[in-house]
Amino acid sequence: SKHPDPLHTLREVEILDAKTREKLCFLDKVGPEHGLHWAKDPQWYPARQSLRLDPKGKSLKDEDVLQKLPVGTTATLYFRDLGAQISWVTVFLTEYAGPLFIYLLFYFRVPFIYGHKYDFTSSRHTVVHLACICHSFHYVKRLLETLFVHRFSHGTMPLRNIFKNCTYYWGFAAWMAYYINHPLYTPPTYGAQQVKLALAIFVICQLGNFSIHMALRDLRPAGSKTRKIPYPTKNPFTWLFLLVSCPNYTYEVGSWIGFAIMTQCLPVALFSLVGFTQMTIWAKGKHRSYLKEFRDYPPLRMPIIPFLL
Amino acid sequence: MAAAAATAAAKGNGGGGGRAGAGDAVRGPGRRPDDLPREAHPGRPGSDGERRQPRWLVIAVGLVRAYLAKGSYHSLYYSIEKPLKFFQTGALLEILHCAIGIVPSSVVLTSFQVMSRVFLIWAVTHSVKEVQSEDSVLLFVIAWTITEIIRYSFYTFSLLNHLPYLIKWARYTLFIVLYPMGVSGELLTIYAALPFVRQAGLYSISLPNKYNFSFDYHAFLILIMISYIPIFPQLYFHMIHQRRKILSHTEEHKKFE
Repeated sequence: SKHPDPLHTLREVEILDAKTREKLCFLDKVGPEHGLHWAKDPQWYPARQSLRLDPKGKSLKDEDVLQKLPVGTTATLYFRDLGAQISWVTVFLTEYAGPLFIYLLFYFRVPFIYGHKYDFTSSRHTVVHLACICHSFHYVKRLLETLFVHRFSHGTMPLRNIFKNCTYYWGFAAWMAYYINHPLYTPPTYGAQQVKLALAIFVICQLGNFSIHMALRDLRPAGSKTRKIPYPTKNPFTWLFLLVSCPNYTYEVGSWIGFAIMTQCLPVALFSLVGFTQMTIWAKGKHRSYLKEFRDYPPLRMPIIPFLL
Repeated sequence: MAAAAATAAAKGNGGGGGRAGAGDAVRGPGRRPDDLPREAHPGRPGSDGERRQPRWLVIAVGLVRAYLAKGSYHSLYYSIEKPLKFFQTGALLEILHCAIGIVPSSVVLTSFQVMSRVFLIWAVTHSVKEVQSEDSVLLFVIAWTITEIIRYSFYTFSLLNHLPYLIKWARYTLFIVLYPMGVSGELLTIYAALPFVRQAGLYSISLPNKYNFSFDYHAFLILIMISYIPIFPQLYFHMIHQRRKILSHTEEHKKFE
């Protein structure tokens, strides 16, 4: 036949630097079945190398093979060094283990935090013990989800993120824990009623958040990186998918609001606010990419708050 | 070119308002601060250079006349207090201008500068009456005044597409002295305010309280002072880098003329 057969045509691949357009490398007689890992330079680890069809475009995935890419017999790829990378799992484990441990330091009132006469003493307020259980449960849940539930679409992120993220999580954990476990802590104004209500909100939202994580996991088979629209399942907590794109974030904000009401502690409220702001940004981004990717995306859904945001 | 001139003309009203204010405001230290007139149209649109340049001249002239009249500069603060507060707070608008793109500076750097100035004026100098007669206040006000007069001249002339090399040179050279001068004035003022803040427990809240929160303004001010250590060199060397880039670029252009 006269048409070039994409299945058997050998290609030439030239690799240019994305910033300087300098020719870095030229590969000839590349078979169509060759994936991108073949084109990557062995002197740096693959996760750090980004190859793309357009210098400002999205990175191609390692599994992409030349025959499936929109290139002719000569392919031009642009190379970008992403800098030192660290795995998502490592970052998550570190950033969540910190608050778990740090909060306990304050709860047990280890020396040099409060006055010496308070060393290793225990609060007389029930709510303080309850708060410790809730906070610890929250982070243990996150650690277990990172290890056994989440399926990450990216393997790695830039190394500097771990410093930024840990400062945020560890810093806020210490700040909140300091006040909740302080000898001069003042329990909530409306007493046991307030604590019970807040605890109910917290528990419901934790269950909700977990349900969403499981639903998202089931959406994507093990080892695959496919993307699908999430839908409500038999689990009532997932029915929030009818109204929002990212109910996991909705439930997360709810949990922290519950915790703030339970402890009646301003730093907790501030942490919730900052977290809410960040999660809203993420939710809007996710919502936008769902809309771009799926023509039939449910129109009723908002990114994070039903009907509002 | 026509569009730029039209824009500049349309926005020129703001400059006029400023000048009217200048004549009234500068009556010397005999006037109590309450007598100073207020700018009637704070929200009037105007290009940064044209609107704001007169206000810094207001402050500059105020300073000079007060000094000449009183023979000393200790009551200076009172003469310039109202315009300084008004105009520098109005500078918050500049952050907006950067954000919407009518001024080419970075939003982050401008926010930083405006916030730090607003903080110095309201949270330190205004709040702690005892530092108002300090020399360090004079130091930073002078530094800011000269810097802003040059900076807005720069923006004005740039908008009119007729930037004299002298203004560009001044903008990218005088900072070498003015930045450290301003920073010294600011740091000394904050340092002077510390004992009064501690004594009065200013802006501080302690445990126990209903919202389980505490804030020590004294410690906060010390933290602010410490933050100058990493931040100031970055800003300073950024300007030096800009200077090299922009002034050498002009040199090359001149060679080809």
